Amino acid sequence: MLFNLDKKITEAIDDAASKSLWLYHINAGSCNGCDIEIVAALTPRYDAERLGCKLTGSPRQADIVLVSGPVTLQSRDRLIRTLAQVPEPYCLVTVGSCPCSGNVFKGSYAICGPVDKYRHVDVSVAGCTPKPEAIMAGIAQAAAILKEKRRGMHE
Amino acid sequence: MTFIQTILNILLLPGLAFTLIASIWLAGVDRVLVARMQRRVGPSLLQPLYDVLKCLGKETIIPRKANEKVFLLAPVVGLASVLVTAMFLPVGGVSALKVNSDMVVILYLLTLASVTLIVGASASGSPFAGVGLSREMVAMISYELPLVLVMLTVGRVCGKGLATFSLSTVTAYQAANGPLLLNPVLWPAAIAMLFVIPCEVGQHPFDIDEAETEICEGVLAEYSGRPLAQFKMMHNVKMYVMSGLFCAMFLNISTGFILADILIYCVACTLVTFVSMSVPHAVTARFRVEQVFKFYWTVVTGCAALSLILVWIGL
Repeated sequence: MLFNLDKKITEAIDDAASKSLWLYHINAGSCNGCDIEIVAALTPRYDAERLGCKLTGSPRQADIVLVSGPVTLQSRDRLIRTLAQVPEPYCLVTVGSCPCSGNVFKGSYAICGPVDKYRHVDVSVAGCTPKPEAIMAGIAQAAAILKEKRRGMHE
Repeated sequence: MTFIQTILNILLLPGLAFTLIASIWLAGVDRVLVARMQRRVGPSLLQPLYDVLKCLGKETIIPRKANEKVFLLAPVVGLASVLVTAMFLPVGGVSALKVNSDMVVILYLLTLASVTLIVGASASGSPFAGVGLSREMVAMISYELPLVLVMLTVGRVCGKGLATFSLSTVTAYQAANGPLLLNPVLWPAAIAMLFVIPCEVGQHPFDIDEAETEICEGVLAEYSGRPLAQFKMMHNVKMYVMSGLFCAMFLNISTGFILADILIYCVACTLVTFVSMSVPHAVTARFRVEQVFKFYWTVVTGCAALSLILVWIGL
């Protein structure tokens, strides 16, 4: 091809995968503490748009799926079905201790967690609740993983 | 020679390449300005380009309920129609395509772009898209009337007794008599046009059809991957087309040097984007559907009609 143009375009697209991150948030039975912190990370004070983040309302447009909550019996099927609707490549980021261990809800009859029973978790942000800074750090890590995943798609 | 020149005009300067660069620039400047007005750093200037490229690199999911052909073709037609619209805009007095009544053509092509959104949404078979497309229709009904009234007003002023629908006549009139924005009779029309721009583009306070927090992105609810990239690019190009249309109708300043004219045009487009899109985005929350409808059919149409009446009785 002319000046390796196709290669350059592919590289630009790979590069863009880590610079444009659209977030979709699933509440899998969270106590709302982590959800507030996620929203706080998007406010002008913490300014997640610096990383190219934008909150999107549809799982079809998501690049990073944020899951909070210990995955309750009621939300398990919805979580699995919503994750199936997200186009590849995407990153699953769990926010808070609940999705990765069950936290104080561990052992309850109504809890079907942790999330990695159902799908591979890329980044896990621990804390009850994690600070907005920690969530931002998690998103930044996920951005690097996204780029690798996008590369893996055509290599 | 003229044939080659026309091809170059369509592909390079007032045409395709210029349009794409200008629309990425305007969309990026808009996002950075909104960020700065909210006292944050904001994304990089190239963020709209990254968004579009990223969407190109993602998987395209076609829902089982969707009509596949219409679902995939609608964004292509939409993007093509706004790109063709941009060809009619005079950049430094030169436009890539010229017809006798290009304002009417622009009007129809802009409507076509909105119609493709509606068609694409209805083909995706999602209830959220259904709500979104009904809202998009309300938005269209809201801004079409004032837009036509503004065009009639400008055409009447520049047509010398008759209403002209030719953008080249309008720009020629402004080259001879100074920009129309200096004429106080046309200020209400200019204000109406500034309000039409964000609603036509679907920018924040008037983005009732894509309200992500209420109806899951509305018309775009089922779109992902390549068709989504086309719709996002259509949105960016629409931003440029609408600010370019305002500049052509009200702010055409010509110095005689084509490069200076193009530079002035770019600065004017950026200013219009700032005033009509970034400021409302930064300072207001989203309107409700009936608020948009009411606002456009009273205040904005009133402004446009006031100018039209003043111009028609010969002030």
